Amino acid sequence: MRRFEYYQPETLEEASALMAELGSEASIIAGGTDLLVEIKEELRKPVHVVDIKKLPGLQDYSYDAKTGLRFGALVTARELEIWAPVIEHYPNLRTAVSALGSIQVRNRATVVGNVCRASPSADTIPPLIADGASLSVYNQGSERQIAIEDLFTGPGRTVLVPGDIVTGISVPPSRPQSGRAYIKHGRRKAMELATVGVAVSLERDGDTCTEIRIALGAVAPTPIRARNAEALLRGRAIDPAAFAAIADAAMAESTPISNVRASAAYRRDMVGVLTRRAIGQAMGEV
Amino acid sequence: MTIHDLPVATKQTFSVVGKSVKRSDTLEKVTGTAVYAGDIILPGMLHGKIKRCDIAHARIKSIDTSKALALKGVKAVLTHENVPRVLHYGSPHPRSASVTKDQYILDDRVRYWGEGVAAVAAVTEEIAEEALGLIEVEYEPLPAVFTVEDALKPDAPAIHDNGLDENNVLPPVIVERGDIDQGFAEADLIVEGEYDLGRPTAAYMEPNICVTQWDGNGKLTIWSSTQTAFMVRGALAEVLGIPLNKVRVVVDHMGGGFGAKQDLFQHEFLSALLARETARPVRMEFTRKETFFGGRSRHPGKIWLKQGFTKDGRITARQARVVFNSGAYGSHSPGVTNVGTAAMTSLYRCDNIHLEGRAIYTNTPIAGAFRGYGVVQTYFAIDLQVDEAAEKLGFDPAEFKLKNAVREGDIAPSNHPIVGHGLEDCIRRGMAESDWYTVRKAPKGDGVKRRGWGIGCEMHGSSAYPGIKEQGNAIVKMNEDGTVTLLTGTAGLGTGAHTALSQIVAEELGVPFEDIAVVQGDTDVVPWDIGAFASHTTYMGGRAAQIAAADVRRQVLAHAAPMLEAAPEDLTIVDGVIMRTDGSNRSIPLSEAVAPQRGMPAIQLVGVGTYTPTKSYSFGAHFVEVEVDTETGEVAVLQVIPVHEIGKVIHPVAAAGQIEGGIQQGIGHTLSEDYVIDLTNGRSLNPSFVDYKMPLSMDMPPIRTIILETAPDPGGPWGAKGVGEDPIIAIGPAIANAIHDAIGIRFRHYPITPENVLDALRAKMKEA
Amino acid sequence: MTRIVTMTVNGEEHELPSPANRTLLDVLRAEGGLTGTKKGCDVGDCGACTVIMNGKPVNACLVLAVEAEGADILTIEGLQHGPDRPHLLQEKFMEHGGAQCGFCTPGIVMMAKALLDENPAPSEDEIRFALAGNICRCTGYTKIIEAVQDAAEELNKARAQ
Repeated sequence: MRRFEYYQPETLEEASALMAELGSEASIIAGGTDLLVEIKEELRKPVHVVDIKKLPGLQDYSYDAKTGLRFGALVTARELEIWAPVIEHYPNLRTAVSALGSIQVRNRATVVGNVCRASPSADTIPPLIADGASLSVYNQGSERQIAIEDLFTGPGRTVLVPGDIVTGISVPPSRPQSGRAYIKHGRRKAMELATVGVAVSLERDGDTCTEIRIALGAVAPTPIRARNAEALLRGRAIDPAAFAAIADAAMAESTPISNVRASAAYRRDMVGVLTRRAIGQAMGEV
Repeated sequence: MTIHDLPVATKQTFSVVGKSVKRSDTLEKVTGTAVYAGDIILPGMLHGKIKRCDIAHARIKSIDTSKALALKGVKAVLTHENVPRVLHYGSPHPRSASVTKDQYILDDRVRYWGEGVAAVAAVTEEIAEEALGLIEVEYEPLPAVFTVEDALKPDAPAIHDNGLDENNVLPPVIVERGDIDQGFAEADLIVEGEYDLGRPTAAYMEPNICVTQWDGNGKLTIWSSTQTAFMVRGALAEVLGIPLNKVRVVVDHMGGGFGAKQDLFQHEFLSALLARETARPVRMEFTRKETFFGGRSRHPGKIWLKQGFTKDGRITARQARVVFNSGAYGSHSPGVTNVGTAAMTSLYRCDNIHLEGRAIYTNTPIAGAFRGYGVVQTYFAIDLQVDEAAEKLGFDPAEFKLKNAVREGDIAPSNHPIVGHGLEDCIRRGMAESDWYTVRKAPKGDGVKRRGWGIGCEMHGSSAYPGIKEQGNAIVKMNEDGTVTLLTGTAGLGTGAHTALSQIVAEELGVPFEDIAVVQGDTDVVPWDIGAFASHTTYMGGRAAQIAAADVRRQVLAHAAPMLEAAPEDLTIVDGVIMRTDGSNRSIPLSEAVAPQRGMPAIQLVGVGTYTPTKSYSFGAHFVEVEVDTETGEVAVLQVIPVHEIGKVIHPVAAAGQIEGGIQQGIGHTLSEDYVIDLTNGRSLNPSFVDYKMPLSMDMPPIRTIILETAPDPGGPWGAKGVGEDPIIAIGPAIANAIHDAIGIRFRHYPITPENVLDALRAKMKEA
Repeated sequence: MTRIVTMTVNGEEHELPSPANRTLLDVLRAEGGLTGTKKGCDVGDCGACTVIMNGKPVNACLVLAVEAEGADILTIEGLQHGPDRPHLLQEKFMEHGGAQCGFCTPGIVMMAKALLDENPAPSEDEIRFALAGNICRCTGYTKIIEAVQDAAEELNKARAQ
């Protein structure tokens, strides 16, 4: 592993100022499960590594039926995986966090880190987008919210700027008559990077689908919404016969690449199959 | 000494053999105290690293190491300009033509992406790594070929100047029996097909690693993760120009090899040279990525196979052309080509045979030895095609395979008559265990998921005979308290070999298993050994240990005879007690008989065993259930019933463990594992455990292992045969045949990916 | 710059020197002399370096030594009760043939220990799920699963008494 300077700021102000000062040659380390691999494989060459694990307050997580789920930047994937409110109210996020690497990785990896790494195939992003989650960002005294859907500008790239410290994620509460699902496709049952990830969150009123959000992972430069597909179901009667057309629309919205993990054509096919399956599963959750 | 006049016991009842005694090597392993090469930490030790090329075929125009040498902490840098230029074998098996001499420690030319071009020793691993980035190499690119088709073209670049054209590693291997023209003329049905073989790799858990140290007398010690310690000794001595008694190779424990750790991997030489130059110990450990780059895969390639069949289900002719992709160096290609091609003479009986086997150089990573050694590939083709013929002729595939199974007395690929009906027993037992007729008739399902059952068969030789004239050696010493020390050169890959050998010695001597201690893994101490490969350790090394133990037994009985006033032949040893066999109840504990007495020293009790085996064959039939998701193309293996006939079983749990592990690797090879090379530039696309897809705990199905002892071979200890390679051969065809049963599609390649399945299902729908 | 990292390893306080860019794995092995923890991939894919850090199993290759300041670490060497007194899990791995080449074994035993600490009666599926990040290339996992199941049963029997 190449050399770097290591910093351990103790306050948010200090961390933010440090990151602003160090600029693009600095990387934040929280769980480190992505960063250390990237440094070892020379995919990233930070000169400075800023450890945010001493910052206060970022380890908290809470759930409230009115305000929803909120967790700090240091909350690990494993903590959410085994926490009853996540299991009960956010089965999509639960599936995503339990499919992220191994338990050993999840004991270090943070969900905020998985999001901020901005990998197109990151497991936690599609369900968070589908649920309308947002990031809280601190930068030298000011705070702002960014919808996760608006965070990404390309593979590994986000709208975040030097000095930004993401402090946590908020997910809106689970509404009555709502259902959610996340399906990950890989060659094995675990230890996979998603070849395709599909998240569906929907609400129904009787036989009508009142709201639906479909988010796709690993089939575009960033995780995306399948808005055309959503439009085919939103506000309409739920008719399984229409699912094929919805799946086709989602396929048309994906722009996957071919690589050693799967071809573009196969990825697109799986968008169709998994979108259909995820809608069915989300319906079942209602 | 031939096997017929060995003074070893023949017996029906066993006290130690056949029992799953507690393995003597596992306490260290489960407690973390087992010492692997990478655990050796020496005072003043430097860390070595290899710089690898990022081009598949090139001449090195220049290497500038000045910046690397100037880096603080760097102690030495080696390039082709300052290492000895000695042409050497990649895998130096002695007395054998089965390996090629086509490598240099470092050459002025690189032949595959990832080949080492320079080496650095520095005070820390991080500094050595940093220094690699400071070495500047200028390449003159050469035309490169990545497939055998391209390498065979008349205008293809010659990758080696070995006197053979078309990039052949060796002259084509031709095997002929009978008359194929007549055979095909007799056939009612001819089935022909081309089989495409992927590039699975061994992916052992312990990366390649060695630590080297020179002493003040110019003696080199190397701790290395190798299956063939004496071969490493021989190669180092030859290439470095020092006598064998100045090289000591130590292998205590090793973290898996599966055949692939029979080669030398550049780092043994480089580490030794760096250690000599710096006069400090040097540790050189591959990263996982380097273990992919610089390791050895199974041979990819193509097999064209044509067979003739009669209506009543006989095979009248078999013709095949096998073309293996050797990668950039020959390594084991001659052996793999010979063994894999010759194997096609058997398994399913056929009198008229013509086979041609070739191995071709390409600018891809090196293919080498790997569990199943060419036979995985050729039996995949044969078993699939026989399955297909059964269907076309209206036979049940298991019945058809049973009908054609190799039988006792048939001429084996080794040109010796086969002993025992092992394969028939395996097929029959597997049919019963799986309730074959019922499961085959069961509905396949008409929804998204379809299920099916398949059978795949195999046979495999223990020992590399006749390709290599092998030799196993052992020394058994009895101490003056009656305990025993076994000295063996066979490596402990993790198979439980040393436990099995101890059981054999204990059984032969009539002493408790716990009284046997094993000394192994040090070429200065143990008798010469050819290495742990070819499923021969129990068969050959075990027999040598048995012979040595029998020698000690004879000496002990001769010594004790006067004490018990009986002739030695009227004495026996049971559970550490020497007793008369005449029913007189006169006995003496072994410990007493061999102890020093009344001021007299104990007698020297040393037995030596040497055994030069021919070959035995083990057999297997795997019965597999799969489920195919027709929307995603994913294939799940739901259960496996492997039935293996391996002669006398020494340690049932260890034998079953070999079978289950082989199945894991075979499922991977068949469905998901493939080390993929970019065909535009030769670069490896998936040198990591994330992208090289081995089945893991959640992917592995339940396995119901059945081991038969119905065809013991007189060459092994009490009829024991090998098991190491067998399981990986049968599982692949069983899965492919089960997929056919589920969805009616015959795949003729591996790995069979979800994408392949989906494409084939669509093509089939279009047709219909 | 080399720092001195203070951590508790197997119940004993250690002061281990490490530069910032060195992992807990390398420092435990080279400076701590605890070579039972293995390096199979160094990027968190194989689990051979699993140690229990502050009660949770982690890959020591994905933790910087400096991040382990003040941490409580349990390695395979700390699991047995004394020389020749292996932990029950270690006994069961020996009995069932759960170790072949043994290179993955320390990591798997540590992961199994973490599992049983959290879930004393895991189902077969739960064991397979827990071990998903530990690659074993020798055994096919069957005998590993048996060893963990057997250990769990025996521990529960002992608890019930």
